[in-house]
Amino acid sequence: MLDDVASVTLSTALSALAARQRVSANNIANIETPNFRAGQLSFEDSLRQAVSSGDPAQATVSITPTSDPAGINGNNVNLDTETLTDQKTALQYQLLSGAMSAKFGLIDTVLKG
Amino acid sequence: MSIFSAISTSGTGLSTFRTWIDVIANNMANINTVKPTSGAAFQAQYVQAQDVAAGPDGVGAGVSITGLPLSSAQGRLTYQPNNPLADAKGYVRLPDIDMGEQMGNLIMAQRAFQANAAVVDRARETYLDAINIGKNH
Repeated sequence: MLDDVASVTLSTALSALAARQRVSANNIANIETPNFRAGQLSFEDSLRQAVSSGDPAQATVSITPTSDPAGINGNNVNLDTETLTDQKTALQYQLLSGAMSAKFGLIDTVLKG
Repeated sequence: MSIFSAISTSGTGLSTFRTWIDVIANNMANINTVKPTSGAAFQAQYVQAQDVAAGPDGVGAGVSITGLPLSSAQGRLTYQPNNPLADAKGYVRLPDIDMGEQMGNLIMAQRAFQANAAVVDRARETYLDAINIGKNH
């Protein structure tokens, strides 16, 4: 019932956003760790391609190190960027979970009449 | 990856930076601790940490403390002939602690702790949103 393109896209995006928030949490936890390189997670391009090919579940997430210059201790975590990413991801998650609830609401309407 | 793992990842940051603050507090408290030259000076502690290896999903699991190395046991030999702990030549050992360095570290540890506490808050909001999927209609 919930295997349509929109629902699968939403759930794929939700789990990718949750993973992005874990990456941010890990980057901020390691903000003072010497020689630590911050990671960034990308999934949007892959999801877009997967949606246009008709199977959003094929989308992949990839975690790559950021190219920001490292500081004197070899650490390149940027607190501004990480906070911004984390905050933005939380809002996106809120938006998509709302959309998911709306999808469920439609089914509810159908079931209950 | 356990459930609510963004919160436990930030939790590793919180406990690492709290330990760092505790260690600095102890170093500062002992900045004037005098020891006789027959033994070691009070040795400042430092926090050694490293990132926790990524799990199967490729996301790292935070930070962990790997050790608390000590500063020099020699300390600073100081001439204090009136000190009851002084040796025959009038010397005692004071710890080799740089107050400026400790204060700088304290601010870094405090800000990093705050950054991690903010992440816990945001992760909590996200998990609440996830829990509420399908509820609000």
